[in-house]
Amino acid sequence: MRSVLAIAEAELRRFLADRSNIFFVFIFPLVLVAVLGASFGGDSASARVAVVGGESALRSAVVTQLERADAEVTITGDDDMRQRVARGGADVGVLVPEEAARAFDAGQGPELEMVTGSQSNAQAAAQVVRTAAAAATLRSGQERALQAAATSAGVDGDIDRALDRAGTSIRPAETQVRDTSGLAQELGGLGQFDLGASSQVLLFTFLTTLSGAAALIQARRDGVVRRVMAGPVTSVQTILGLGLGRLTIALFQGAYIVLASRLLFGVDWGNLPAALGLLLVFGLVAAGVSMVIGVVADNEGLATGLAVGGGLVLAALGGCMMPLEFFPDSLRPVAFLTPHAWGYEGFAEIQRHGGTLLDILPQLGVLAGMAVLWLALGSYLLRRSLARAM
Amino acid sequence: MPTTVGTEAQNADARGGSATGSVEPVLVAEGLVRSFGSLRAVDGVSLRILPGETFGLLGPNGAGKTTVISMIAGLLQPDEGTVTVAGVPMGRSSVEAKGHIGLVPQDLAIYPELSARDNLQFFGKLQGMHGRPLRDRVAEVLDLVGLGDRAKEQSKKFSGGMKRRLNIGIGLLHQPDLLILDEPTVGVDPQSRNAILESVEALSGEGMAVLYTTHYMEEAERLCDRILILDSGQAQAEGTRDELIELTGDADRVHLSGSGDLAAAEGAVAGIPAVASVHRDPHALDLTVRGAPTAIALIVNAATGAGMKLSNVEIRRPDLESVFLHLTGKALRD
Repeated sequence: MRSVLAIAEAELRRFLADRSNIFFVFIFPLVLVAVLGASFGGDSASARVAVVGGESALRSAVVTQLERADAEVTITGDDDMRQRVARGGADVGVLVPEEAARAFDAGQGPELEMVTGSQSNAQAAAQVVRTAAAAATLRSGQERALQAAATSAGVDGDIDRALDRAGTSIRPAETQVRDTSGLAQELGGLGQFDLGASSQVLLFTFLTTLSGAAALIQARRDGVVRRVMAGPVTSVQTILGLGLGRLTIALFQGAYIVLASRLLFGVDWGNLPAALGLLLVFGLVAAGVSMVIGVVADNEGLATGLAVGGGLVLAALGGCMMPLEFFPDSLRPVAFLTPHAWGYEGFAEIQRHGGTLLDILPQLGVLAGMAVLWLALGSYLLRRSLARAM
Repeated sequence: MPTTVGTEAQNADARGGSATGSVEPVLVAEGLVRSFGSLRAVDGVSLRILPGETFGLLGPNGAGKTTVISMIAGLLQPDEGTVTVAGVPMGRSSVEAKGHIGLVPQDLAIYPELSARDNLQFFGKLQGMHGRPLRDRVAEVLDLVGLGDRAKEQSKKFSGGMKRRLNIGIGLLHQPDLLILDEPTVGVDPQSRNAILESVEALSGEGMAVLYTTHYMEEAERLCDRILILDSGQAQAEGTRDELIELTGDADRVHLSGSGDLAAAEGAVAGIPAVASVHRDPHALDLTVRGAPTAIALIVNAATGAGMKLSNVEIRRPDLESVFLHLTGKALRD
């Protein structure tokens, strides 16, 4: 066992001694968590709406309704609105064309244009705008109808004041607009950085471990593995040590992101034993895949290419770049061929629903199956390769 | 069958022991055979090494030296034959036998990202060492190979000679009964090479058995108590330097360099009775000649008469190169 641990320790030391890892292992993941949280994390209390269009009854009506819905409204020009939306300064931009204003004045249904941002709360803001526009149109219609009714009855009066008085004289039914879509419910309880952190821990744990395949190739090429096997060490111990080394790297990367994101961004990882258990089994899959690449690729360049390319593609497919919930139904079965998707689901259960180890047993089971498969294949290939190299 | 010169008993006696008495060989390899496909890389090689003995395995590149030591070190299973190290039979899973060996491979088998100290500690742990004894031994070896002041530096920053010394230090770390050095001076500058050779000389003085493979005959002559000459996987001869040289019949070595029709010159000089063997290079002929001073005029006349334009003629006293030429008909550097 000492030999196995010595080999695994040496692999971790090599990993830490490589200065090119400092940025990609320690800094880059946290930068991404921060960027994703700042860009897509839903933390804004009210919708920010930039309105474009000349002075008109329609614009005034829409702005009034938006302000009643607690939206932050800015009247601005077309270019500025688009820049604000693109840079995240506004969630939604609303264009009030002159044609629409005229149609509104004529009592017809106006057509507004809307530019939606990419922030996670942009869709909610867009809904606020739709509701406000509908309310403005309704109000206008009501005024017009009352006006017509008063005129035909020979009554003269202030229709607008009458509507306001009517609003205060009776207790209006409170209409609460609740978003009942699955997506909103699913992502509802997450903190600003939680989703980004869990997807990045999967992406980087896998990617970093796969990149370790190049170190395995280097050790074989330089004759270090051969020398290890010339010592009082069996081939099984050597393979176990190299496999454990890859797992140690995976756990180191994963644990670092969990800890640093907790300390720096206050990410809530939920039930810690469950999160670490999930990370362990996911790391085993990564270790197995890394061993396979370390044997199949015959040079470090190819191994790095496979590791980075494969790691990013699997991460994208597995929901680490865009939440799985946004995936079309046709793509979801493909996503669940990747370990990332099962890891994503596991973290979703833990972080969003307070899941424990018991609750993520299905995900752990699938990942454990993948791990057994990849580790067995990696061990077989490595053993065969070592026998040939002797 | 190889030519064996001198008896094992004589050789053991020369080091103060007896092959039939109390001194047991550290290494006994009997009838090693190994093929790769249709190539018989090693064909019936046997050797024994006693404690304190430096045994040379001399042969050109591709002679089978590395295959022999891979079988001895338990990295390669022989098709036929047996290996015993310190009385323990060797096989691929022979953990105990492997523990008696320190292998210094031809490749720089070190982790470049790790420091000299970390490399030594890693390999020490594999040998079952740990704690203070390991730390003390690592410090000792670092001093021994002259890397004490660079112990914390990543080994990738070392010069080629320093890496070679670290490579040797790893082999020495656990004080093995048998140290196997596979061409340890390949690609090393003369100063480091000399330092390595001095270290090896010191080791045999401390009673460690050393198996040294090389294709440099000067190294074999300087270091080795006994030498086995290997060519095309077969042992050609075994003995001390002097015993091997006797095999040439005390023939001198004559080196003719020049241009012109060397093939015709080769045929012409081969017909001279004093010439025992001839080897032709693109620009030279190497001959083993009995009584070269008296035969030289005849040789020169035959070569020039056959169309060779001589630019230089050298007569050298016999050495291991002559022995190899005599035994195989080709030069060691081939």
